[in-house]
Amino acid sequence: MRFILRRLGFYLIAFWVSITLNFLLPRFMPGDPVSRMFARNQDRMQPEQIEQLRKLLGVDDRPLWEQYFGYLHNMLTGQMGVSMSRFPAPVTEVIGSQVGWTLLLGGTALVIAAVVGNLLGILAAWRRGGAVDSALPPLLIFIGSFPYFWLAMGALYLFGVTLGWFPIRHAFSDTIGPSFSWEFVSDVGMHLVLPALTIVLVSIGGWMLGMRNTMIATNAEDYITMAEAKGLRPGRIMFRYAARNAMLPSVTAFGMSLGFVVGGALLTEVVFAYPGVGYQLLAAVQGLDYPLMQGLFLTITAAVLLANFLVDILYVRLDPRVRSN
Amino acid sequence: MTQQRFFRAARITAAGLAVGALLLTGCSANQGTTGATGASAESAFLTIPREDMGTFVQNFNPFAPTVNPMVQQSIYESLLIFNPAKGDTTPWLATEWQAAADGKSITFTLRDGVKWSDGKPFVAEDVAYTFELQKKIKGGFEYLETVTAEGTNKVTFSFSKPWSPALYDLGQLTILPKHIWSALADPGKDANAQPVGTGPYTEVDSFQAQSFVLKKNPNYWQPEKQKIAGIKMLAFAGNDGANLAAANGDVDWAPQYIPNIEKTFVSKDKEHRQYWFPATGATINWQLNTAKAPFNDVDVRKALSMAVDRDQVTKIGMSGYAKPADCTGLSGNYEKWMNASVKDNCTWTKLDLDAANQLLDKAGYAKGAAGKRTLKDGTPFEFKISVGASSSDWLSVANVISQNLAEVGVTAKVDSPDWAAVVAGYETGDFDSGIVWSANDPSPYKYFNTTMGTTTVKPVGTKTFDNYHRFGDAKADALLAEFAAEADESKQKGIADKLQEEYNDVAPLVPLFSGPEWGAFNDTRFTGWPTQDNPYATLSVKSPTTVLVLTSLEPRK
Repeated sequence: MRFILRRLGFYLIAFWVSITLNFLLPRFMPGDPVSRMFARNQDRMQPEQIEQLRKLLGVDDRPLWEQYFGYLHNMLTGQMGVSMSRFPAPVTEVIGSQVGWTLLLGGTALVIAAVVGNLLGILAAWRRGGAVDSALPPLLIFIGSFPYFWLAMGALYLFGVTLGWFPIRHAFSDTIGPSFSWEFVSDVGMHLVLPALTIVLVSIGGWMLGMRNTMIATNAEDYITMAEAKGLRPGRIMFRYAARNAMLPSVTAFGMSLGFVVGGALLTEVVFAYPGVGYQLLAAVQGLDYPLMQGLFLTITAAVLLANFLVDILYVRLDPRVRSN
Repeated sequence: MTQQRFFRAARITAAGLAVGALLLTGCSANQGTTGATGASAESAFLTIPREDMGTFVQNFNPFAPTVNPMVQQSIYESLLIFNPAKGDTTPWLATEWQAAADGKSITFTLRDGVKWSDGKPFVAEDVAYTFELQKKIKGGFEYLETVTAEGTNKVTFSFSKPWSPALYDLGQLTILPKHIWSALADPGKDANAQPVGTGPYTEVDSFQAQSFVLKKNPNYWQPEKQKIAGIKMLAFAGNDGANLAAANGDVDWAPQYIPNIEKTFVSKDKEHRQYWFPATGATINWQLNTAKAPFNDVDVRKALSMAVDRDQVTKIGMSGYAKPADCTGLSGNYEKWMNASVKDNCTWTKLDLDAANQLLDKAGYAKGAAGKRTLKDGTPFEFKISVGASSSDWLSVANVISQNLAEVGVTAKVDSPDWAAVVAGYETGDFDSGIVWSANDPSPYKYFNTTMGTTTVKPVGTKTFDNYHRFGDAKADALLAEFAAEADESKQKGIADKLQEEYNDVAPLVPLFSGPEWGAFNDTRFTGWPTQDNPYATLSVKSPTTVLVLTSLEPRK
């Protein structure tokens, strides 16, 4: 319990530091939201309208420290304000309407990549020099080192355009509305295949190699030899003795990745026109939309910290050494 | 926890996550979905991509800084429509207008029989109220003193000074219904989810995160022109997705920039696909910060301009889609205002290295060692060209200029941070030179006012939003004042001629080329598109002329 409380204290400080950075960084960027909007409109706006727009959007002219306390108060009470680039939609609505797709895409891809990658890593290390071990790592690293954009475009062109197996855009067909029918769910599934597959392809190699390397080290431990000497079944040794102990770094990595899923997959969203917060974040940064940026950064920070906290707790369960400390 | 139990737990969590995500998205996407869409009706919707919105928000408020597509094109309409492709003006919600002899007011006569999409009649009060609201929420229209509705079909706008550029300024603002907007508590922040307008397609249908449909206005004033069943907008996070949809034949209209369009778009179906890039965009200029030496010297500006190879600039930088500019500074948008005698006798906008060298020598920027020129204080003639990193086309324009200048012994370095940093420098005057857009109104007043009017010049350090190059000219001021006070267009033309002569003399900036208006279409399903031979509108989906296209297209028989 003390362990958890101590971690909690640490996370609170980390949270404070990161929301302070979230506040400061956008304000160090040159320009302000209104002049960016003006520049982007390339003279379709009248200069006299700028003051008015500033008032309408609520651009803050107070001194920085006053803004900071107002900001802290708003963050703690959950008031994220109104998005400027999507005015007058509130930030919570802009994020809320898209974060679901981001979680669906990122979560699915992450779970598949982590589970399959780890299993392949376990197998590869268990049969060192076998077919899985010699063929897969170089192949997966080869695929993983393609620029993601190129790989995604290639997959889209081959499977979407040329072969026509999968839809080439959006999260579901625009001819059917969202519902809980089989038709809609399978449509969402079909739209998910290519975006998720490409993310899995580029990330799976890392999971596999990581697992394989720790597993090889674990395989050399005395207790493995001992288990073999006891005559246990190889499958039991592989999963319960070797893999369980080799899994710790993977669990940490999984926790971190889980948090970052919330940040969205910008390139995937661009190539497959998939909805999500990644493109929204890019647009917010380009338009200096402070409230939306703060809202997105806050969501990402909170998700990363929360995922790490959960991993910490899971660690207590997985690794007795942490408990006794 | 045993291995099996751990994996089972993981599986359940993953499944939970997926269902949760579905619930979240399902719920949010469900909002605002009205009615079902039949697959059979789909073929009749005019499908248009929007390339810079990854998702849509159901917000049809025309005051929003980032307005949803089609709000000002097919939902709300304006009093008149100026078509830059042909240079003509189409009366729309107004049938005629009359400027007062003193130039201090204009009276518009409104069209009879126009109704809002909810069936209420469109009246003069609506126009007056729209301008009241516009001034309150978005500001602008400083010259406008009062807007008075006379009866139901006449509106008079009075100004604080004679102001002829007002006609298009007022005439092209989209008009809102007073009976709806005056009832809103905070019109600037209302999402206006089910808009009521006078346009041809106003009824929002099947609104989803990445697509929505606008169906026919049941009370449109020219029902014979609503030949398509509706408009479907698709959201794309960037040009690539939208270009793929266009290449694949999934959209009817492709208004975004498509690189190498002959090969990537047209060649797939030569019979039905066409593009047309009229030079009606703004003039793209290379601006020199005239608040700094040596750019305050007109000879330097002209010499640098003569060193630029505009053919190369448009060919390499703009893939050959743009038209080189001349010394009137006016783009294709202002075709009818051009002064032929100035245009035919341009010197400083034509490539002439010898003349450029002579002019620089004469002005006192002599070539030193290794053929590099020096400024009058002995420092090297070196400066930066600032362009935003994301504009790859303008970046290559800047690179071409930089290479061109090396030939006359001037060193120009291309500086390409983020656009925001570049524009912040332009605004405060902290820059050497840059590639910029310019004003593109129906009347050339604003273009000349923001390129050489003294009133638009702000000192370095004070933010300005036009005339970044900070050039003012007293002679131009007098002509501009005369132009603003003159209501008769033929007399305005005479003044515009003199303005062009002045522009030619002082070279406030270096005009490079007329910006093209991108646009392509696929007429497999709909016919009647504007083309070079029938330029009744441009192929833009964001301009006032868009409604002309929407009311001209018809399904292929």
